[in-house]
Amino acid sequence: MFLLDNQVVRADWRQAKAMVTDLLAKNGAKVLCARRWDERKLAYPIRGRTRGTYLLAYFEITGTSLNGMRRDFELDERVLRYLMLKVDAIPAGEMEKAAEEGADGYVVPPPPTEEATSPERAVFGDLADRPIQENLRRNAPAEAPEGGDGAEAEVPEAAAAEES
Amino acid sequence: MAESRKPSPPIASRHCDDPKIDYKEVAYLQKFLTPQAQILSRKRSGFCTQCQRELKAAIKRARHMGLMAFVQ
Repeated sequence: MFLLDNQVVRADWRQAKAMVTDLLAKNGAKVLCARRWDERKLAYPIRGRTRGTYLLAYFEITGTSLNGMRRDFELDERVLRYLMLKVDAIPAGEMEKAAEEGADGYVVPPPPTEEATSPERAVFGDLADRPIQENLRRNAPAEAPEGGDGAEAEVPEAAAAEES
Repeated sequence: MAESRKPSPPIASRHCDDPKIDYKEVAYLQKFLTPQAQILSRKRSGFCTQCQRELKAAIKRARHMGLMAFVQ
């Protein structure tokens, strides 16, 4: 599994995928299948990125060329993290999913909208959508002059109550 | 005479029959973390020795890939 920089992925998913598969092929790996796993918010920032796209690939490679390939992925800034594991067999359904993605009609899922991902929206909710002036008007004691008048108006009443 | 402390019951039942533990199944792995994202002990997770080892490896892999947090 490879965690790819979202800037590269947003530019062109196929190119980002080809970047990884080319690096694999360069080191003598035979790529059996590769597909977009998911785009997710990262549990912690990695190289300043808070979101990333995961590429899941299954390939065959000899043990002697592993170190060179690891070095290539370490040096490539577009690959934020990688994880290579030995598996007995490709899980059922993986080849089909990869084939679906490789088909001509495949459309890369659109990235989430700006509003859904902006940190301001996460903290302030719908308030983040309103213009700043409007928020200031709502949050500041906008009714202060009137409230002040009210407080003054109450004093005579209280005084009147005390008198009575 | 001091009372012997009873062992606390496991918060999860035996999970050895569950589907294979995988680092990509983040929602499933989250069940075996404390609120501070520490891995539950075998006593509390209810796993056997082999499954607990798999669980530990899977959670650590998920943490490395940014799928799960190291601390909350």
